[in-house]
Amino acid sequence: MATILPTGRVTGKTYIASGSMTAIQYHIVKLSAASTAAVAGANDPVLGVLKNKPADAGQALQVVRALAQHGTPFVPRGAGTGLSGGALADGTVLLGLQRLKRILEIDPVRRIARVEPGVVNATLTKAATPFGLHYAPDPSSQTACTLGGNLAENAGGPHCLKYGVTLNHVVGAVVALPDGEVVTLGDPHGKGEAGGYDLIGAFVGSEGCFGVAIELTVKLTPNPERIVTLLADFTSINDAAMSTSAIIAEGILPAALEMMDQATIGAVEASIYAAGYPTDAAAVLLVEVDGAAAGLDDDVQAVDRICRAHGARDVRIATEPAARARLWQGRKKAFGAMGRIAPHLVVQDAVVPRTRLPALLAQIAVIGEKHRVKVCNVFHAGDGNLHPNIPYDAGNADESARVHAAMQEIMLACIDAGGTITGEHGVGLDKLAYMDQLFSPDTLDAMCRLRDVFDPDRRANPGKVVPVRYCREWKAPNRRQMTDGAKP
Amino acid sequence: MTFRPSTLAELSELISASATRGKSLRIVGRGTWLDGGEAVRANAEPLHLDAFGGIIEYEPGDLTITVGAATTIAELDAVTAAHNQWCPLSPWGGNAGSVGATIATATAGPYAQALGLPRDHVLGLEIVDGTGKVLRPGGKVVKNVAGFDLVRLMTGAWGTLGAITRVSLRLRARPAVDETWVVEVDAMRPIDAGGAFRQCSTPPLACALVPDGLRASFGLGEHAHLVVRIAGNAGYVSAARAAVAAFGRAHAIDAGIWTALREAPPVPAVRVPMAAGVRSLNARIKSAFDPANILNPGIMG
Repeated sequence: MATILPTGRVTGKTYIASGSMTAIQYHIVKLSAASTAAVAGANDPVLGVLKNKPADAGQALQVVRALAQHGTPFVPRGAGTGLSGGALADGTVLLGLQRLKRILEIDPVRRIARVEPGVVNATLTKAATPFGLHYAPDPSSQTACTLGGNLAENAGGPHCLKYGVTLNHVVGAVVALPDGEVVTLGDPHGKGEAGGYDLIGAFVGSEGCFGVAIELTVKLTPNPERIVTLLADFTSINDAAMSTSAIIAEGILPAALEMMDQATIGAVEASIYAAGYPTDAAAVLLVEVDGAAAGLDDDVQAVDRICRAHGARDVRIATEPAARARLWQGRKKAFGAMGRIAPHLVVQDAVVPRTRLPALLAQIAVIGEKHRVKVCNVFHAGDGNLHPNIPYDAGNADESARVHAAMQEIMLACIDAGGTITGEHGVGLDKLAYMDQLFSPDTLDAMCRLRDVFDPDRRANPGKVVPVRYCREWKAPNRRQMTDGAKP
Repeated sequence: MTFRPSTLAELSELISASATRGKSLRIVGRGTWLDGGEAVRANAEPLHLDAFGGIIEYEPGDLTITVGAATTIAELDAVTAAHNQWCPLSPWGGNAGSVGATIATATAGPYAQALGLPRDHVLGLEIVDGTGKVLRPGGKVVKNVAGFDLVRLMTGAWGTLGAITRVSLRLRARPAVDETWVVEVDAMRPIDAGGAFRQCSTPPLACALVPDGLRASFGLGEHAHLVVRIAGNAGYVSAARAAVAAFGRAHAIDAGIWTALREAPPVPAVRVPMAAGVRSLNARIKSAFDPANILNPGIMG
């Protein structure tokens, strides 16, 4: 068990006190003497809660209110699986919500679930299974990531092509605003519309900057009657990309339509997640068709036909759960498999209009060659959501610089193609530098105005999402002595 | 006085000047639903946005479209139908209204249950806020989490935070087979029948009770009738047809009934009271985007 840090003076150092996974996980940098003393008093109940993480919504609220009282910045965090640095908490108190993991209610008639934010995504689906229901958004980290984190990031996943992202599945939330006030956003109890602005719509995807969701109400989706997974194998990445557009153009809306390139296939097949993908293929498409049994095979045959017409060497069709799971395993664990290639991995997330995929993939290949980096593409082709990832060694300064340069060029190419800088991972810290490539100063300023409605002090997840220079009237220096780790 | 700006710059200047002078504006798209919602304060001067129409960008392969806000639902439907696509906005009220107003009022339609609300179809907006600033949140791609979600904030804001000038929308491919059926149901429990049908293995694209006033014009007797739209590939629709028949006496009917249904007078929404904390957030949002309170004042309380 770690000891309690820091003491009642301004130190300027980061303290990470963590004895074990369940022990203290909080960082405090340069807290003012007053707030440090208040938060770190030996018998302070708030510190006691922070040390063990809040056990329930009441404790979480107690912490939020104490932080508000002392003007202390904080970062709410679920499982910490985010891929954009949104839950990094340097210089702030980390409010871990993983212990708030009760499923409060599953209503199979209204097809909703009320949950605490620390419930793991896949756990909810497991709990809903006896009712023939599931929670549809399925980020690849779904066995670890929490629904609170999903809400904050507006998380996606392969099946969002047909079923929509987190935004489309959140009915309402009970939120502790950063000032400690508790508000109910949306219509979590089905009482009817209260009118007013779409506050829950604004809150979903606010990356922890608008407050802390202490209870969520989400939709549950009926399990499809039948699911068929196809693996189409291509000798040209362009053919695979063209097939993607052709499938959608035909009017078929697959549950998922994923692409993996040769580099990704190689990484997966060399790992313990080997899924039997053809290692000599330039690309494979993983297509899942689901829904009512009636008519489903017609769609399966159409996908098969379209892929072959666009040059697929082979199309494998899996209907049994075990066979389908094996095909999916490689896709879901692809990021992990890339971890074997090199000590570090840059995970990227960008979106382009689907018709621009073939051109963008060609451009990414050129950029990779130019900077001598290995780009592994594994992505949601159906909605144009690219994940060009680059394994590298961060200890190698030259390689790091080349990786950085390549990533920058790829992102700018996506913006030029009419796309966006993140489809599902969020802006966090990682994408801050691209925000003003995408949005005008006035639009960024308007985002800051919205943030100030929820958190006028900007204490909740400070320095994330919108570059600080667009947020006027930044009040940090006199209110508290903290560094803003995110100044671009 | 009536305003009719013809460019974005003119609109921006007009709103900015009105804010300075404290002159209220009432935003008008196609003018089809001027008494919608709560009445705008009487002294507000009409601001017509009909110059902001037309198809701005349409790439059928992407299943996305960007239109001027004054584009009518009828125009949107026609231009997408030419490519065998559609946008499921199809709001209650009919096809004469504008896309901008549909988004501003978040008016849903019969396909919302199956395919989502207006907030689920909007990808990006161009808005002039209450200070005259031009904002362009969101984008034209189907997945986008860049920045705080001003798109959802503005959708359903009834023009009280800004005047919408452009809308990017997600489209869908038209189903191969698309049929509309009416089915006679137990007069005492028509809603239950609709609910049960939605839960069956071949759920419909839309399912609604035929209003009393419409039964005669579609040759339906005195019995309660559900109208059901079933769409998908041939195999799916064939199974769905059987499911419809299992609910009662059914027959196919012209799909025009949906337009008639949408044009029927709206049932006023029942509002539950707003909690104090939420009311305060609403007021802060209004003053953040329209500090002079000149855009559609009074319409959202």
